Amino acid sequence: MSGNLASASLAAGPALLQAQGLHKSFGGVRAVQDISLAVPAGAIFAVIGPNGAGKSTLLNLLSGTYQPNAGTLAFAGRGLVGMPAHKRVRLGIARTFQKIRLFKQLTLLENVLAGFHIHHDVPAWQYFLPAGAFWRDFRRCREEARALLDFVGLADEAQKRAGALPYGRQRMLEIARAMATRPKLLMLDEPAAGLNAAEVALLLDRLQQIRARGITVIVVEHNMDLVMNVADRVFVMDHGEYLFEGAPREVQANPRVIAAYLGGEFA
Amino acid sequence: MAPRWPWILVAVAVIALLPHLLGTPYWRGILVICAMNVMLALSLNLILGYTGQLNLGQSGFFAVGAYVTTVLVKSFGWGFWPAALAAVAAAGTLGLLLALFAVRLRGHYLAIASLGFAVITYQVLVNWESMTEGVRGIYAIRPPPPIRIDGLVDISFSSPMMLFYLVAGIALLVYLALDNVVRSPIGETLRAIREDEVSAASLGIDAARWKAFAFGLGAAVAGLAGCFYPSFVGTLVPGAFNIVESFTMLAMVIVGGLGTMIGPVIGAVVLTFLPELLRGVGELRLLVYGLALTLVVLFMPGGLVQAWQLLRARFAGGRP
Amino acid sequence: MPDLLSLVVQQTINGVYLGCLYVMVALGLTLIYGVMNQINFAHADFVTVGAFVALFTMTRLATKMLGMPEVAGYLLSIVFALGAGALLGLAVNAAVFAPLRDRGDELRPLIATIGVSVLLENGQLALFGPIPYQFDSPLAKETLRFGKIFFSLQNVLVVAVSAAAVAALYAFLKFTFLGKALRAVSQDRETSGLMGINQSFLIGLTIVIASALAGMGGALLGPGLVLDPFAGATVIVKAFAIVIIGGFGNLAGTILAGILVGIIEAFTIQYLGAGLIDLVVFVLLLTMLVVKPTGLIAERREENV
Repeated sequence: MSGNLASASLAAGPALLQAQGLHKSFGGVRAVQDISLAVPAGAIFAVIGPNGAGKSTLLNLLSGTYQPNAGTLAFAGRGLVGMPAHKRVRLGIARTFQKIRLFKQLTLLENVLAGFHIHHDVPAWQYFLPAGAFWRDFRRCREEARALLDFVGLADEAQKRAGALPYGRQRMLEIARAMATRPKLLMLDEPAAGLNAAEVALLLDRLQQIRARGITVIVVEHNMDLVMNVADRVFVMDHGEYLFEGAPREVQANPRVIAAYLGGEFA
Repeated sequence: MAPRWPWILVAVAVIALLPHLLGTPYWRGILVICAMNVMLALSLNLILGYTGQLNLGQSGFFAVGAYVTTVLVKSFGWGFWPAALAAVAAAGTLGLLLALFAVRLRGHYLAIASLGFAVITYQVLVNWESMTEGVRGIYAIRPPPPIRIDGLVDISFSSPMMLFYLVAGIALLVYLALDNVVRSPIGETLRAIREDEVSAASLGIDAARWKAFAFGLGAAVAGLAGCFYPSFVGTLVPGAFNIVESFTMLAMVIVGGLGTMIGPVIGAVVLTFLPELLRGVGELRLLVYGLALTLVVLFMPGGLVQAWQLLRARFAGGRP
Repeated sequence: MPDLLSLVVQQTINGVYLGCLYVMVALGLTLIYGVMNQINFAHADFVTVGAFVALFTMTRLATKMLGMPEVAGYLLSIVFALGAGALLGLAVNAAVFAPLRDRGDELRPLIATIGVSVLLENGQLALFGPIPYQFDSPLAKETLRFGKIFFSLQNVLVVAVSAAAVAALYAFLKFTFLGKALRAVSQDRETSGLMGINQSFLIGLTIVIASALAGMGGALLGPGLVLDPFAGATVIVKAFAIVIIGGFGNLAGTILAGILVGIIEAFTIQYLGAGLIDLVVFVLLLTMLVVKPTGLIAERREENV
């Protein structure tokens, strides 16, 4: 086995998510090879690497969008392999997408409301004939949705169509929608892509607040400033394989990482 | 949510007045057909408009509703209402069966599979002669039995007017129930599936299960419309449930306005009455449907509802 | 030859004949799906139009006005039907597919062509009435006989013309620049756009070729059909079944599936009765959709997230 495991075990605290020897290939192309990692509970865990390093594929394996060809995967002690994406959400795993996948024809509010799908507590008949429990749920979801929109700075635009939002705000809306599932683990795929400086600053602050709420975060990201400022652990991939894992400082100092990816930027 | 009860009162008043405005038995018959078409359009709209699945099999569920009711009444001696209930359940169950395909298939494949379902249903009606009488048809079908509670109510459905009140009343209830569903969290779930299944799964939505829900409910509503068809027409032949019926439902939903509740109602009303007004020029019903379907998809994809909104925006914006 | 064997051979020949006709129709659907992932629901109605054009060309124009011999008149009518199909293809592309192409909606073009189909069928109903027309091919009278097995010159013509059409199509795709460009488009729309290939032209061309095949199919199929305005509707359901069984966009699979469905139909008529053909074909289709939705010959792709 690789040195991957040794470094993973250095992680502080119990692991919320644990992967062993994950493999995924598409028509002969190996996108992810022998990846093992342990994400400590309560941490912000960054996954970085050059384009085509397999970061998004890894995230898709963790979320259940893809199933691995080999390897094991456990969340809070429960095996995930073979479990479809929608069931993993019930365990507390939420995600956003690199290529934004909002419900474009729905309003911002409706996008977030759809995120409460697994949390409605209403007797079935009341969906056809609303009564007490329905209206309680209705009000509670709307309140919570507005709070989440407020959290990502979109409270004033609740009735706009999601497709009409500028790019950066769409990313923030995806975070609010994922938060509506009340996750224990939130996975963000390049949340800072296409954001301006002010939006990145907001994102940074919100990531810290999310961590403060006790939610573990995995973030795939290209924006090194953001990663170095916010991440507790950084996991580096290259060509689908493990390259290095450590604290931001160690990553910045590691010659292999610098050679493969960071180049002169941090030298 | 804005209160709906004023609109419900308006709807009840319109339903009450219509048979008096259109007094001849012929026009009252058209009204019954119209109320049935409203239910059919609503049923397809739940699947196509809200869940985003093109189901061309609705004519099959309509047929199942009609045939199961009639055969249970005529050949097995059931009462109309239990038979109708069984027919709705049968149509709903078949809808769930078709949903098994919908779960695996998307877009065009589902459209063709559902078309196949309608063709198979039609062929079964033609070929299973011992049960359906095949192309010879079933004749002398009576209207639903009167509802009698001694000294209180005595409602007979033998006149087109009373039959219209019955079907339109049920259509209104169906509308309200479906309206509640699509405004509820289920509505968000279905529309999430319509917009992006992968994204919906990331929120814990089991698309397979909810598609089955939409197909089952949509099929049951189409079956419900079917229950009243034979007792109104008096005869039952497979030709009435040709796949073209699926296309007319599609035309009603698209022309009225896909994915809105009121759109399919408007579409059903317009497309039921428009060909009647053009009757002088020959049997052009389907020609009108085909033309309307193509033109609306090309030039006004949101249908009459969108046209109305555009018109209103123009006038509101044009004011000084 | 024993009776059973000659019966099987006879039905297989009938089946191949039917299959060739279906291939003409299904190939067009598959070609169009290959380049633009769209279905022309009105495709089989082009067959009906082709059949009517051929009928009137033969009976009115060729033999009456031009005084041509019957066989020559029929051959001319095939050319006219081909032209009519091509024109319809041009029209449906200009009216439906081209305007809707860039909107990225999967279902709208399909729904629009359902409208076109209903329009064409009922337009023809208004023109020609509901009573089926008698379309006698002069070649159908000439029968060949080998032992207990019969077939007509019409059967030979249909098989020959469809084989020639398929061969021409393959040669076009394989050896001409346009054909290669067309294949490039169906394999990878984004990259081929970058290579400076004019996609709108190629898609238009594909639809015209496909529709011309359908029109010609009408002239060939016409004598075997109950030729009324809804004749195409009975063919389209089988054509869809063939295209799905063969794998959407897959030419070889479509040809194979077409012949297969033709043979199944011939044997269904022989052993189960003509009324059950659609039932058998569609049960086969639904089974196929469940077991192997990508068709007889195809690989599965995972969606890129």
